[in-house]
Amino acid sequence: MSIVVALLQAVLLVALAPLVSGIARKIRAKMHAREGASALQDYYDLAKLWHRCEVREGGSGLVSRAMPPVFLGCFILIAAGLPLAMQACPIPILGDIITILYLMALPRFMFSLASIDSAGSYTAIGGIRELLVGVLVEPSLMLVLFVMAVAVGSTNVGIMANAVATLQAYPMVAVVVAAVACAMACYIEMGKLPFDLAEAEQEIQEGPLAAYSGPSLAMLKLGVSLKQLVVASLFVAIFVPFGAAAAAGPLDILIGFIVYLVKVLVVFLLASVIENSVMRVRYKLLGRYTWFVVGIASLSLVFLVIGI
Amino acid sequence: MFGYPLVNVLGACLIITSMMVVLARTGRAAACLYSLQSLVLVGVLASLGAVTGSTELFTWSATAFATKVVLVPAILLYTLKKIGSDAQADLPPRMNPMKSVALVAVEVFVCFVVVSGIDLPTADAALPTLAVSLAHFFIGLTCIVIQRSIFKQIFGYCLMENGSHVTLALLAPQAPELVEIGVATDAIFAVIILAVLVCRMARYTHTLDADDLCELKG
Repeated sequence: MSIVVALLQAVLLVALAPLVSGIARKIRAKMHAREGASALQDYYDLAKLWHRCEVREGGSGLVSRAMPPVFLGCFILIAAGLPLAMQACPIPILGDIITILYLMALPRFMFSLASIDSAGSYTAIGGIRELLVGVLVEPSLMLVLFVMAVAVGSTNVGIMANAVATLQAYPMVAVVVAAVACAMACYIEMGKLPFDLAEAEQEIQEGPLAAYSGPSLAMLKLGVSLKQLVVASLFVAIFVPFGAAAAAGPLDILIGFIVYLVKVLVVFLLASVIENSVMRVRYKLLGRYTWFVVGIASLSLVFLVIGI
Repeated sequence: MFGYPLVNVLGACLIITSMMVVLARTGRAAACLYSLQSLVLVGVLASLGAVTGSTELFTWSATAFATKVVLVPAILLYTLKKIGSDAQADLPPRMNPMKSVALVAVEVFVCFVVVSGIDLPTADAALPTLAVSLAHFFIGLTCIVIQRSIFKQIFGYCLMENGSHVTLALLAPQAPELVEIGVATDAIFAVIILAVLVCRMARYTHTLDADDLCELKG
């Protein structure tokens, strides 16, 4: 049963990712008082790219070729392991925070490797930018997940979700502060303004994207929107597990899925509104904002240690 | 949820609100947030009163409400109005304020290590709140050190004062009202004197930047 749920949620997230990014773009257009492209535009783009032939850069090697499937595959794996519809992980081995953090770091590693591998002169800059975001945000995310692991007594995301849902995660203030820090870290990881704008200035921001074409680009585009959805789901799964199924009955799981979709849509709505009311920062100034996240995360650790 | 856990949760809220006071961009926002922090302080005093059964603490919380939630922010907002806009009361701080959050976390941790050796007369359960109250002294000091605007430095003093208030309530819950009157009036008079000083400096020098004021004489 749980394997079915895992497969189902992986398929669902992959199928929904382009729609969610389309909706986000539609909201941006509406806030700019434009009509904007259809919310389904990403599906058309992906279908079009899938039928194009693939052109490779001269001199690029195996890393460039392997990067798109690895990028997409890692996020599909995370999507299969998160406790979205239930309060327990469908595949426990994939729901461990250490696994999740490594599965999130692997695509980034491959991404920056591919940026060096490419012959283009701009791609390396994009790769460095991506790594910089990782270096600045990942420690906070790790710290927050560590706080949750100590508060709950397990590194399994499902057990964390269950403890939060039944209000048994012990130092309550520490958990709430950790939730705030996690929300900020996830927002930055989602690659939204003021930190990033995935679809603009591809050659600088998402470096290697400029070097891909055809099905590889389709996979990468899908991967980038899936990443947004997975990161938002990670936050929702751990800190807002209310409404997820406590038992493994089919009806409970169905209700859990619907509640999850509502929660994730609300998160994306909030993220879109924030995104469109700020302006982009230069990436040199990124550290100023991430210091705040580090501060909040360490405050949650301190609250955990002193027990409030 | 009630009893000492509530006191501790309110103590954590004290830390969060005082951090917001330090991070506030404008003097006006800082004054409003200080009022909010004092409201949390009133909550701490009242809940401590309920836990220890001390009637004195309830009168403390009432006087703290009148002086700290209403009077002190009102004085500060009035000062801000008096200063006007030409003296730059809203100067940005010296240090990146985002870093001060991490600094506050370190201060709270160090204070907890220090107070964990203390045997508290009220109860061991309120030890985190004692750490929080001690940490307020350092948060206030941080505020004074990192802020360039002397108007915002007043908030550093106010935060220290709030910290000492909580410490007093924890260490001596049965202390007579006279002590509390001392603490409350101390806060008001100090803030009035500081506000007058800030007003006069703004009038004569047209700046509130502490770096520019280092050559003030007589």
